[in-house]
Amino acid sequence: MPGSSREVRLTRKSSDVGVATAFLAPAILMIVLVTIIPICMAIRTSFHATNYAEVGAFVGLDNFIAVFTGNGLKNILNSIRYVLLSLVVVIPLGVAIGSLLNRKIRGNTLLRTLIIIPWVLSQTVTALLWRWILNGNYGPIAYLVYGLTGRKVDFFSSAGSANVMLVFANAWNTVPVVIILTIAALQTIPGDVMEAGQMDGATRWQIYTRITLPLIRPTIITAVVMQSMEYFNMVTLIYTLTAGGPFDSTQTLSLAAYQNAFNYWHMDIASAYGVIIFLLNIVFSLVYVKLLNTNRE
Amino acid sequence: MKKSKLGRTPGLDALTYVVLIAAALVALFPVLWGLFTALKSPAEVNSFPPTLLPNEFTLENFSSVLFRSGFPRYLLNSVIVTAICIVVATIVASHAAYAVTNFRIRFRNQIMFLILMTSMIPPVVMLVPLYMLSVKIGLYDTHFLLILIYTAWRIPVLTWILRGFFEKLPKEIIEAGTLDGCSKPMIFYRLILPISKPGIVAAALLSAVYVWNDFLVSSTFTSKDSLRMLSVGLYNYISQYGIQWGNLMAAVMISIVPMVILFILLQRHFVEGMAAGAVKG
Repeated sequence: MPGSSREVRLTRKSSDVGVATAFLAPAILMIVLVTIIPICMAIRTSFHATNYAEVGAFVGLDNFIAVFTGNGLKNILNSIRYVLLSLVVVIPLGVAIGSLLNRKIRGNTLLRTLIIIPWVLSQTVTALLWRWILNGNYGPIAYLVYGLTGRKVDFFSSAGSANVMLVFANAWNTVPVVIILTIAALQTIPGDVMEAGQMDGATRWQIYTRITLPLIRPTIITAVVMQSMEYFNMVTLIYTLTAGGPFDSTQTLSLAAYQNAFNYWHMDIASAYGVIIFLLNIVFSLVYVKLLNTNRE
Repeated sequence: MKKSKLGRTPGLDALTYVVLIAAALVALFPVLWGLFTALKSPAEVNSFPPTLLPNEFTLENFSSVLFRSGFPRYLLNSVIVTAICIVVATIVASHAAYAVTNFRIRFRNQIMFLILMTSMIPPVVMLVPLYMLSVKIGLYDTHFLLILIYTAWRIPVLTWILRGFFEKLPKEIIEAGTLDGCSKPMIFYRLILPISKPGIVAAALLSAVYVWNDFLVSSTFTSKDSLRMLSVGLYNYISQYGIQWGNLMAAVMISIVPMVILFILLQRHFVEGMAAGAVKG
């Protein structure tokens, strides 16, 4: 258990209890008001009908049935596809670029700064920049395609290319996260481990694949879980890039929750979506916490 | 290529440069394309084939965004909300983090678990109930509500990160403070806070980026144009009839300048904060 050895050394005085309470209370109060109470309300609303922002009659599981007889299963498949495709692109790229940036070469600080910049840009800005680059009439990519095929293309009119572009924009925005984590992990590896490998006559590639990668494996796994949650819960990028289209082919569970609430004003259906997302997140979070604890040991 | 000196690897170095420069180009191209677009005249923006660099540089797009649109208002709103939120959240979270690391309190592990779990609840789950609640109690369409939500949502993750920093501080500091007759709050304000400044800056920066960049909260809880924040203001260019890409890209460039500058100046802090939030737990 974290910190239990410290507990023994701390004594409890009555004045301490007062101070501790005063120090903790604002945080706990805010968390309860703006997180815990809303979650309870969402769970309650998911079993009721709603009329705009008013909670109406109890309807049992009707909202959940509506989700699964409607777009629900399609949304789940879209979420899984989005998460997996994004991970397949982001994790290897992030680890590879992070590993190269960690080499002591001239100019690596400048290169690192430039490569990480997309990370501080918002999902909205990412979507807008990519919408402009991929613009079918005036964009550079459309121009390249026109040069090759003689036809203009609209990347957001077919399900296949819309999904590819979405994953690409997401990767552009989030690869830096994995790069930063990789560099941080690599810097904790003591130099003599590598030297031992060199003494044994191992090639650089052998040292990298048999010593370095296994050593940063916990970080890579952490990154996979962290980014899975991030992509699964992502709304803004998808909403501002494709708005779920064409024909709901990029509408993930999280986007469906948002659109049901604030585009179609079905708060009841949106709450059911929210509860499903919440439950899946609990599973993800428990896995993540377990990983954190294993990494710590 | 193979003519390597002792320990030198020109082949690998060359490959490293090729890959990293390619990565940097991919990372920067969309931003530069947007910047060049913002510097073009409307006719050149809507021309095919597109030009990379403007034939004729013009600041027309920037001046129309800055002087003839609602954008400065959105910019100001974002500055105000972000500033208040990070100050309040950092104050509240640093106290909480100190309490869980340095006081013997009941249910400590349960409280830590609650904080960690709530830091992972996705915003989209809470938007609907918070919307219904805010309409009911009349806080909808106020900056107060935006600040309240952003602050409350940043507190768990900030507490978690700061707790990590506080735990790593040498225990001698607290012991020395106690011997000097400092009370626990005095130790916090006079000793812990000053030496934890780098960690606190790192954690606060991450929160600043979060609030500055957020779209969901400000789009869900405000409808008045005068209350809008940056992301929503940007997105509105898209939903208008006939998108003015030159104006939009100028607005995008203005909106990213503060964070890009902060990032370049304080990169180490950013990276530290992010790594602390993710790896060290």
